[in-house]
Amino acid sequence: MAPSENDIAIVGFAQLPPERRTNLTESDLVLRSTREVIAQVGIDKSEIGFTVSGSCDYLSGQGFSFVQNTDAYGMVPAINESHVEMDGAWAMYEAYVRLLQGDIDIAMAVGVGKNSNSDPSTLFTVEFDPYYLTPLGTDTWTLAALQARALIDSGKATERDFAEVVARNRANAKSNPFAQVKGDYSVDELLAADYVRNPLRRHDLPPTTDQAAAVILARGKRAYDLCERPAWITGIDHRIEAHLPTVRKDITTSVSTRIAAEAAGVGKGPIDVAEIHAPFSFQELILCESLGLDASTEVNPSGGALAAHSVMTVGLIRVGEAANQIIKNGKNRTLAHTTSGPCLQQNLVCVLEGDQ
Amino acid sequence: MADTVQEFVFNLTFPFTRTLGTTLSTFSSALAQGQIIGVRTGGRVIAPPLEYDPDTAADSGNDWVRVGPKGTVSTWTWVPEPTNLHPLDHAFGFAFITLDGADTPMLHLVDAGSESAMAAGMRVEAKFKAPADCVGRIDDIIAFVPAADPSPSEGAGEPFVAPEENDITEMDAFCDLQYVDNASPTTIMWAKALMEGRIIGQKCPQCDRTIVGPRGMCSVCAIELDESHIVEVPGRGVVSNFTIVTPTPYPGQTETEPFARCSILLDGADAVIAQQEILDVPVSEIRVGIHVEVVWAPENERSAADIDNRSRGSGGDIIVGWRTTGEPDEPAARYLDRMM
Repeated sequence: MAPSENDIAIVGFAQLPPERRTNLTESDLVLRSTREVIAQVGIDKSEIGFTVSGSCDYLSGQGFSFVQNTDAYGMVPAINESHVEMDGAWAMYEAYVRLLQGDIDIAMAVGVGKNSNSDPSTLFTVEFDPYYLTPLGTDTWTLAALQARALIDSGKATERDFAEVVARNRANAKSNPFAQVKGDYSVDELLAADYVRNPLRRHDLPPTTDQAAAVILARGKRAYDLCERPAWITGIDHRIEAHLPTVRKDITTSVSTRIAAEAAGVGKGPIDVAEIHAPFSFQELILCESLGLDASTEVNPSGGALAAHSVMTVGLIRVGEAANQIIKNGKNRTLAHTTSGPCLQQNLVCVLEGDQ
Repeated sequence: MADTVQEFVFNLTFPFTRTLGTTLSTFSSALAQGQIIGVRTGGRVIAPPLEYDPDTAADSGNDWVRVGPKGTVSTWTWVPEPTNLHPLDHAFGFAFITLDGADTPMLHLVDAGSESAMAAGMRVEAKFKAPADCVGRIDDIIAFVPAADPSPSEGAGEPFVAPEENDITEMDAFCDLQYVDNASPTTIMWAKALMEGRIIGQKCPQCDRTIVGPRGMCSVCAIELDESHIVEVPGRGVVSNFTIVTPTPYPGQTETEPFARCSILLDGADAVIAQQEILDVPVSEIRVGIHVEVVWAPENERSAADIDNRSRGSGGDIIVGWRTTGEPDEPAARYLDRMM
């Protein structure tokens, strides 16, 4: 396609190797990931018109780490910079919107999460409704398990289906050099494990990961200076449901994902590859259905979020992996999805296309 | 080096008080009296009540409805090993419980004894704390327990008449999170040098700026700096900026009198070290331009225990503070335009 000046593409993507426990700081991770993506597209940092990151101070436990992280951009002279307390995928969305203003050509979005400092079984209590959920110590695993049990009781899926999602993603992850959890596992072997939160076992939960990733976006023809086959963003949408999962009518489906997918134009053509952010195994089943994907779409060839799950980075990696399928792997139309909040509360869907 | 701490455990704990607003005040005031209520909005009863109808975002109003104390489990899970934040210290269930008289479930604990007792459709009833211990918070209900009598709750679905003024309009809460951070290579370099009575920086090979304390990168050029870029800087410099803090009492604040915290530009450095204390100048006489030198703790009293990734440039318990050298004040032009 001949891009108009309002077309925005992902032209570069870099991720650091995921680690269960890094001894680097978030700032160190931001520096390494941004330097790599800048070198990859062959620009000078002064050519970047807008820089935006996604991170959360509660993860590392360091107040204002998102400010300290800006050291890694080299902000002399001053740069145009922003931050979201969301996954880097939402930082990418802000960069996309910023580029649509038309006065700059290149933007960089970063996601960083040093997750290993905190305990996922307690940390996310502070994310939930402070009146009705936090005083009970409501944890993220519990909310996911309640959703999983509802899915089983609805007859849509079984624990064996969950284990099959895990086995497939871990097998896919074997060919991903940036996977933390990978290997061949039999479904029966997985089903023999104890429950962490019935009906979820440890393998149904996301791993704990320290990681950073960065993408560079470019507008219009400038994209071709930086990338031979840009991954054009042809649709992007973000929808949110009620924060209390108890007031949603049916938690075995994802209404926000369905609406975001429609708005992003997922159904306008075949999707070759979908990179889906399902923190919990069974959520991949809900998401594939709500995205309207069929068997012709290859889902999570990277191993997805079960292979590495750095909160604040994992969604941006889905975008980067889906873009690389076009940039490096010759695919024509791919999808990236990311989620946030309890029981798939928020969902972002992005459709990427290559020149035919 | 044995004296250098590699991991830091710290607790993020703070109390806070939330105001509740009309809807939650009504809920809390009723709950403290042992009555659970919901609100009828958009043709359904939402319990516990929300200020807005989640479908339409309209004000959900004040058509209060008595719900429970019995209800039916719609989905459940089991917590085999409770955390310090869970209200019960033994294994228990969490469930969505649709209370009698309500159309939406509430999330709460089910103290069922064993996982095998849990099932969708099970009838449960609220078990409250002793009346004197109820404060109108959701955990006034200790847990739901299997209902002795599964028949419908008496009075459920009937209107609830709220008092003119609610007794409870605020809620106390407490954040209690634990973190385990590990010292980055740069933090370890800094702490080791301090223990040896040396102050170090890193000199950027690209812009020649010297950054103290080391941060593992040049924040102008955005390149990595490592051990090969270490330079030693003298423990002498100039106060380049300061602030006077008048302490207000808050949890964890140990200061009671106004105190000064200064940025110091060490001789030969291009970045200041911040939050430093001058030992021999009264707060009222702190000013920029004062020449100061470092005061080390005696070697046998030095500890790097407080030097973590969060305290970049801090001397922890190794640097006691700074004292004046008596030289004439430095003109401003010599310490302007430096980096934090």
